[in-house]
Amino acid sequence: MQPGLWAYAARRVIFLIPLLIGLTLVMFFLIHLAPGDPVTAMLGPQAAANEAMLEQARKNLGLDQPLPIQYLRWLGNIVQGDFGNAYSFNGKPVLSLINERLWGTIQLQGISLLLGIAIAVPIGILSATRQYSAVDNGVTIGSFIGLALPNFWLALLLQFWLGVQLGWVKTISTGQADAPWSERWRYWLLPLIVLTLPNVAYFARFMRSSMLEVIHQDYITTARSKGLDARNVLYRHALRNALIPMVTVIGLQLPRILGGAVIIEQIFAWPGLGLLAWTAIGKRDYPVILGITLITGAAIMIVNVLVDIVYALVDPRVKITEGGGSH
Amino acid sequence: MSNAAATASSTPLATTTLPARKRFPVLARFLENRLAVVGLVIIVLLYAAAFAEPLLATHNYAEITFGNRTKPPSSEFWLGTDRSGRDVYSRLIKGGQVSLAAGFAAVLIVMTIGTVIGAIAGYFGGLIDAIIMRFTDILLAIPLILLLITAASLFRPSLRTTIIVIGVSSWPGAARLVRGQFMQLKGLEYITAAKAVGASPARVMAKHLFPNALAIIIVETTLWLSYAILLEASLSYLGLGVQIPTPSWGNMLQDGQSELLFGAWWLTLFPGLAIFITVLAFNLLGDGLRDAFDPRHRSR
Repeated sequence: MQPGLWAYAARRVIFLIPLLIGLTLVMFFLIHLAPGDPVTAMLGPQAAANEAMLEQARKNLGLDQPLPIQYLRWLGNIVQGDFGNAYSFNGKPVLSLINERLWGTIQLQGISLLLGIAIAVPIGILSATRQYSAVDNGVTIGSFIGLALPNFWLALLLQFWLGVQLGWVKTISTGQADAPWSERWRYWLLPLIVLTLPNVAYFARFMRSSMLEVIHQDYITTARSKGLDARNVLYRHALRNALIPMVTVIGLQLPRILGGAVIIEQIFAWPGLGLLAWTAIGKRDYPVILGITLITGAAIMIVNVLVDIVYALVDPRVKITEGGGSH
Repeated sequence: MSNAAATASSTPLATTTLPARKRFPVLARFLENRLAVVGLVIIVLLYAAAFAEPLLATHNYAEITFGNRTKPPSSEFWLGTDRSGRDVYSRLIKGGQVSLAAGFAAVLIVMTIGTVIGAIAGYFGGLIDAIIMRFTDILLAIPLILLLITAASLFRPSLRTTIIVIGVSSWPGAARLVRGQFMQLKGLEYITAAKAVGASPARVMAKHLFPNALAIIIVETTLWLSYAILLEASLSYLGLGVQIPTPSWGNMLQDGQSELLFGAWWLTLFPGLAIFITVLAFNLLGDGLRDAFDPRHRSR
């Protein structure tokens, strides 16, 4: 443990507060910039003709107040853990809607992230230790392909091929909760393939370059020249240091991973946050959209701070004296 | 290499007969990278097809013929017809024109905003830099797709909205990159010299810093083109981007997906393949350019 690490960690955590407030500001004003009236969307077209009814609904929701007042009220509620009620979804509290769906996304994305890393790390090592071999070239081309495949397209093709034509798997997630455990994999297979593939491509490429960098460093040459066998050097000396930068990449990939959930969950009708966001956007349900964006944004910010702190903890070469600490 | 240098210095004429790879090292390194050259060739062909759209199209891309709904590929309709009886091949080419143009315009906005903001942050540093960087921190923490979908659903979806939404919300990454480059360069002696003779900040940035950051900006632009085309396709696929009857590869996928259940694979296969090839080509090109500009980066 190096001196100053606690101060660094504390500084990063305190710095989160203005960032989180900034996040609420950006999202709030983005949403209120838009044309279109949530009250009309909420009450439906019949009510749109009834001006008095609209006025009353606006008053009840506090939408007749000036924007800064609306913002401060809303921020005050959020700090107390009240994200308001949804306009649609039977007026349920936003937080309980998010709660219901959060687990679905965390399960699916968490598994595909872990699976992606578990597959990518050995591939990256293999590729790096056989640089410019046929295996390495294959991995390079494969990861280019994996990154360029639009995964919603892949999802549609697999739905057609494995789901409709061969009938091996379910094309959508509806009915999963009632299915027996032995049948659940049929619902999971397609979303997992589609979400894991880009993770594998991305992490394998990164693991390869990270490993290559470490292999060419002096201490590895030293270890080899003092007679340690190649395997030992590779796994005991090189791998540990090559894995450290992976921590950062996972943090940096989080926005992409969570963002991708919106499209993929929609295709598979997966009951997660992404599908909730998609439904809420269609209904112009501002409190729900804001709630989801804020919670994902805050989660990403917090994970990135944690990643930086963990990084400083495991890698003593990281300088922690520079202020603020940007990526 | 040292031999060549020795020959060059002993015979003055040799400078004019230096082999091409010595005179244009970046180009030589680029051409050695087969994948990158393949990427470049594909991109040239794609743009050529987009420009030659009136010559290549066999049908009017918007023409609806009810007798020809959802027909498989044939000698008349090379890639089949969609559910309104429009020719998929002609729509694919027109869609390519739309997607490439949208990607190009969006990236132009991304890189312009990103470069200007990144340049200001990197050059001035201090409080200005801190404020700008914290703001990019905030934007980078919101998943781009979520931000795009929110923004796109707030305004009336169209080609123009798509371009503006992608452009305006995606600049923070580019800004960070340019900032880093400017910070690195501004400590060098030639910049101190330029300031000493009284060059204004704008002049130092535009004439002395920008040209040296250009390589990294070109690479970033290429990689962003692939990303912007993918984003446009995603938005249009979700129905929030380019609207039918104007074709884009994304909205062709959306329009065809309900027919997929009934076996109309050609409506899904071809537009997706077009997106895939385009994104792949831009990635290969961008990667090759990065290696060519910065040989130290090779093998990463």
